[in-house]
Amino acid sequence: MTTFTLRRNNPNALNDLIIHAPGDAASLTDDHRRSLAARFRAIPTLEHRRLDAWAVEHAGTSGRDFRWSPSSARRLLGAAALRRLVRRPGLTPLEAVNDEITDQLLRHTSGYAQRGSLAQWLSSLAASELALVSAAATNWSTELRELGEGLDVEWQVCRSDAFYDVARARTTLRAHRDLEIPREDGRVMLRVRAGAPGKSSGPGLRSELTIETLAHPKGLAPQRFIGVWPDAGVVLSVDGTMADLRAGARDLVRTAAVQRRRALKTAA
Amino acid sequence: MPSPSVSSPRTIVEALRGDRRRRPRTERNCAPGLRAVLEDGIYELLKKVTPPEPLVVRASSLRQPARTFDISLSPHARVRGILVNQVLRLLSVAAPMSDPFDDALRAWRLEVTSGELRDFVDQLDGDDLARLATDVTAHSVTLMRSLGPVSPHWLARSAVHAHLLLCGGSVVLRDVVDLMVGTTNGDFASVALLDVTTSPLGEGAERTMRYHALIQTLRTGVMPLRTSTFSTATGDMWSLDVDADLLTRSAHEVLATLSDVLCHA
Repeated sequence: MTTFTLRRNNPNALNDLIIHAPGDAASLTDDHRRSLAARFRAIPTLEHRRLDAWAVEHAGTSGRDFRWSPSSARRLLGAAALRRLVRRPGLTPLEAVNDEITDQLLRHTSGYAQRGSLAQWLSSLAASELALVSAAATNWSTELRELGEGLDVEWQVCRSDAFYDVARARTTLRAHRDLEIPREDGRVMLRVRAGAPGKSSGPGLRSELTIETLAHPKGLAPQRFIGVWPDAGVVLSVDGTMADLRAGARDLVRTAAVQRRRALKTAA
Repeated sequence: MPSPSVSSPRTIVEALRGDRRRRPRTERNCAPGLRAVLEDGIYELLKKVTPPEPLVVRASSLRQPARTFDISLSPHARVRGILVNQVLRLLSVAAPMSDPFDDALRAWRLEVTSGELRDFVDQLDGDDLARLATDVTAHSVTLMRSLGPVSPHWLARSAVHAHLLLCGGSVVLRDVVDLMVGTTNGDFASVALLDVTTSPLGEGAERTMRYHALIQTLRTGVMPLRTSTFSTATGDMWSLDVDADLLTRSAHEVLATLSDVLCHA
């Protein structure tokens, strides 16, 4: 049975969800990974398949082609800025974001930025456009820091999202994650999203729980995976139980199947 | 019940921050009560009429009655308002500005790549564009002169969105606060909200200020310290200290707006 919990977003509710996360979490073995890979291989694809919570929530529709914008850059820059803030508490979010943007521009100037990268996009912007990107990233960074500072427990900013390549299935799974709360017997993961949760946000969150577990070197699930929607003032969580992991995997496979059906229909 | 007053500090930011020694303790308990008032009221309204789609309430819904034509809703006025808000966003991160109109337009075009207003701006001829530029520059100069420096230590955030679902999603309360400073984590209230409008201030602006405070309280569970509005048309600023009465009044205004919308649907 799925263990979703919905709460209003406030520090007390979030602390409560973290402190009362179940002590034991499920883990995925090599057999589970092989079984999942077999299911993905059974759904052929001509091009590399990328699945994430967004695809699960939108029934496999592939979104518009990715392009950098202030709203797509804010999460990357905001999280990187928060890592700086944690290392150097004297900084302000705005200073940290500006330092991060400067680093990205230096990366481009020194020739390390790839085509289509954030650094390359930032280097193409005028000063006022960069300022807008900075404002958007500062909002994100401040929101994330407010969330972290409201917690009564130790937390850290995740270094990157969770990625898992399904063996011989031309499929990459991606889960967003923003903050990690390490605990003696495991971990709780926290993810922040803009807007308001829809009817399919639960399955989306559950699929992220599964991807996060698959990406863990030992296949250990987080004790709880918490999604926070600050704009809507809502927190939704799912526990790291085997039932939820299985349901998350089913959602991902179903999404791949729907994508395949849609591709065939388009081709016909 | 507080009444709006014309503030006389030197800058907008000074008025927003106020006297730090006189701040009340952070109030974290009033959000559930407000939500109950709203949800009870909405259930009463929806008992009579069931709308086919969710009802969306925005700050602009409270500014004027549903059937009134407002000249400030013309595309020219809307673009002007958007661009002046872009100027505020750039000022909030201390961006140096040589030409407010050009800078704001560039920033807005980066963010908005399509839509009715984007098309409107793209098809403006030279004269109309020059008229818009003059208008935006005049409003921006008023804003730049009045705002004052925004310290990064005050955790300024611009264009803060809210998207609250009530009664299982039957009603959606949407809001965008132009500028927000302060933190919700302190022992003393410090969150101040600012709405910048290019129209003169009126009764509708007062309702909008209360609405921002209500939505912020429901969104974070923490009552803000102050809600303010600044008119770039007149240079006036109104500021209200937030308390439980103000928020309850706003909840009733939201219900009255919904009732008005349902009656004329």
